[in-house]
Amino acid sequence: MIDKTKAWLKERILLDKKKSSEIVEKVLKEPIPKHMKNWFYAIGATPLLLFLFQIITGILLTFYYVPSPEGAYESVRHITQDVQMGFWIRGLHRWASNFMVIAMMLHIVRVFFTRGYRKPRELNWIIGILMLITTLGLCFTGYSLVFNQLSYWAATVGTNMIKEIPLVGETILRFLRGGTEVSGNTLTRFYNLHMGLLPTILFVLIVVHIVFVRIHGVSKLEEHEESYPFYPEHFYHTVVIVLFLLITLSALTVILPPGIGEPANPSVTPPHIKPEWYFFAVYSILKIFPLRIGIYLSIAVLIVATFWPFIDEYMQARWPKIKINYWVGSLVIILFLIFTVVEIIVT
Amino acid sequence: MAEQDSLKTQRLIVGVFSILLVVVLIIVAGVEMKQTQSTKLAAVISGDNKRCVDCHTNKGMAVKAIDAWKESVHAQQNIGCLDCHKANKDDFDAFYCPESDLLVARHPTPKDCAECHEQEVKEFADSKHAHQFWLIKNADRAVFEPTIATRNGCEQCHQIGNVWPDKSVGECDACHPKHTFSKAVARQPETCGECHIGPDHPQIEMYLESKHGNIFRATEKNLNLNYSTLNNEPIPIEVPVCTTCHMDGNETQPFTHNVSARLALESQAPWSFRTVWDQENLGDWKVKRTRMESICKSCHAPDFVETYLLTADLANLQYNEIRRYFVYWTKKLTANGTIATLKANGKEYSDPVLNGWDEEPEELMYNAWHHEGRRFRMGALMMAADYTQWHGIWEIQQDLAKLITWAAEHGDNEAQKWVKSTDPAKFFPYAIYDFPGSAWGINVLSNTTPFLYKNFSDYWDRAYKNVEAVFKEGLLSEKQWKLWEKRYKNKEYYLGTKFKADSIFNFYKKRDSIDTKAFQDQAVKLKLPGQPFYKK
Repeated sequence: MIDKTKAWLKERILLDKKKSSEIVEKVLKEPIPKHMKNWFYAIGATPLLLFLFQIITGILLTFYYVPSPEGAYESVRHITQDVQMGFWIRGLHRWASNFMVIAMMLHIVRVFFTRGYRKPRELNWIIGILMLITTLGLCFTGYSLVFNQLSYWAATVGTNMIKEIPLVGETILRFLRGGTEVSGNTLTRFYNLHMGLLPTILFVLIVVHIVFVRIHGVSKLEEHEESYPFYPEHFYHTVVIVLFLLITLSALTVILPPGIGEPANPSVTPPHIKPEWYFFAVYSILKIFPLRIGIYLSIAVLIVATFWPFIDEYMQARWPKIKINYWVGSLVIILFLIFTVVEIIVT
Repeated sequence: MAEQDSLKTQRLIVGVFSILLVVVLIIVAGVEMKQTQSTKLAAVISGDNKRCVDCHTNKGMAVKAIDAWKESVHAQQNIGCLDCHKANKDDFDAFYCPESDLLVARHPTPKDCAECHEQEVKEFADSKHAHQFWLIKNADRAVFEPTIATRNGCEQCHQIGNVWPDKSVGECDACHPKHTFSKAVARQPETCGECHIGPDHPQIEMYLESKHGNIFRATEKNLNLNYSTLNNEPIPIEVPVCTTCHMDGNETQPFTHNVSARLALESQAPWSFRTVWDQENLGDWKVKRTRMESICKSCHAPDFVETYLLTADLANLQYNEIRRYFVYWTKKLTANGTIATLKANGKEYSDPVLNGWDEEPEELMYNAWHHEGRRFRMGALMMAADYTQWHGIWEIQQDLAKLITWAAEHGDNEAQKWVKSTDPAKFFPYAIYDFPGSAWGINVLSNTTPFLYKNFSDYWDRAYKNVEAVFKEGLLSEKQWKLWEKRYKNKEYYLGTKFKADSIFNFYKKRDSIDTKAFQDQAVKLKLPGQPFYKK
């Protein structure tokens, strides 16, 4: 019976034992450079693991969440206060989103300072930037779904920024909001983006990103660096990260659970409107410059970041002795941290 | 070697920045997460307001008031100290802050509130709440109570209708406490109960003994009274608080600060009468009653609402007939010199018909109006059975019996005849109203025993004539009269006498006889062997 089933499957899947074990072997034995035994160099898988966390907890949250102006806040309250373990699932989802942004930043820091984006990996860097943008989009839309005062007004100021994008800003703004104001239309649109389009895009980007990593192999720090197989050591590394994340996120959820705040009230503008913390630096800069200039500046930074591998290569060729990426990287990180902290102190 | 060094540097930079980012960003995320738990929004304090807040905080003066303000919607909307406390030099309450050059108003009045809340202040000024100064202006308190007692006594409640030197009327913070000016606190029934309490108008006790108050107590933990009904939204809570019926809006009624807009009866006055308060603007009592009914009907069936309120209206009118008899006796006793009116310098300081007394008949009549008379009438309107009955009509009847007995003891022949009479009808020396049945349902056994029903075959005809008469006088609406007539024509059904429930009656009669036997055995027939100490 078992043999028959095997034969039946074999005919249909067109995969014999030899072929499949070859594939498994290739996947499991993927050589990993020795430097990745250092935890800071092994952070790249963390956003992926967190993405999986988000999918699982996100699906569970949709069992109760109602994407309407009347139902959204109440359903989040219900999840947080009534549903068994609801606060935990919501807390994991919220904290994991924060961690995902932090983990991506750490990964970028590592890649940036090790110049992991150099030829032939420039495209994968650009994919990485796209993944960061998609993740921030997910964070922004997800935060808005709570539909409390903080998130409602964060959605308002967040989308206001879009208006300043040259030529298409107004159109994109109306498209996202589904009208002139943040409303029920915005909520259903954000829900759709958060649940459907953005995760799909991110998933595709992740697949492409990993395929690229596999095609190129992990970049080596030294020319003749030793390597070790993905399985079992690096796999266990990953398991440890998963467990660490689960414990840390659960602990944070217990110590600092996400609250529900006050229901969104479009007629009462709170004195301090602010976006989620990962936008603080940009928000802080926007307050210094006139909005339009600030937006142009942000777009310029984004373009530079996206095409950094090429810029870096050009500059390396011109000034081979200066470690430009060290200077630029350090400056950007320090400025980012200063502006983020300043915003939190001010408010 | 150089390559090794460079790798070390690289590792150091990656390590330092990674740790820095992790630590700082997790702290930032944590601080932000903590903020999500707060339902309060931080206040912006700047300019002159910042000067007030900083100085007051440093000196420890009115810090609680500032803390309260920080919690307010005012603070969230940038309405600061001087927006309400600003003053002109000639203002009655203007003073220069001793620590600054700021001219400050000590008492923000409704005039100040009206700068933003114009409609609310106007509605309030048009309500009977604003009229409360009238009662403290009257002279009676100065005669009967030492003024010092009234300062923190009647004046405290009646200052809700304070008449300010700037000619504005009212005291907004009587309900919206300084400095949060909270809507939720204003809606809390105990806020109304600060004044609507006690022997003369115990609305808070009446509310709490009613089904409304009971459900409120059971569910109040989950009630959020900080809502708005400005835009004809449905009532957002499951149980009415005082403001739900008297002020809040629903789908049909606008929210109002005029508590008189929905009241059809003056049940606090010495005589019950259909309200004429500001009827040019508010409409007559029927319009006001329709407003109240629209609120009641948010939760109750129309038939129940109309039946209940008609019964309550008739109870209020019944009070007048009893009152008429009190007036008859005190007038008679005054006219024949048995009791006297207080006088000084040719002016009367007490009125035997209204208030003021130093003799028992006057006191009884005063209480039969000001205390039990109000409780009876207001209780009937507010689903407060105990206040309608035992704290109401029972005590009124007692007052009446005591008054006539006093007259008999002081030589009045008519009173002596009443005292000696053994006719059970003597407790009804006045005309009566009645209503066939009640709003609660058909009770087969509740209308079988009353003395008047059984002994006066024209009982319902008399009631019919009286109700018809007050309808013709305009004290009942057409709709109410039709409802009464409908019940009257089918009164056997509504009174339950049409139905038989002998088997049920006999079942409980048997149980009752067992009870009777038990109390006879255990109490009535009990004789103790030890002798008492006082010998007759």
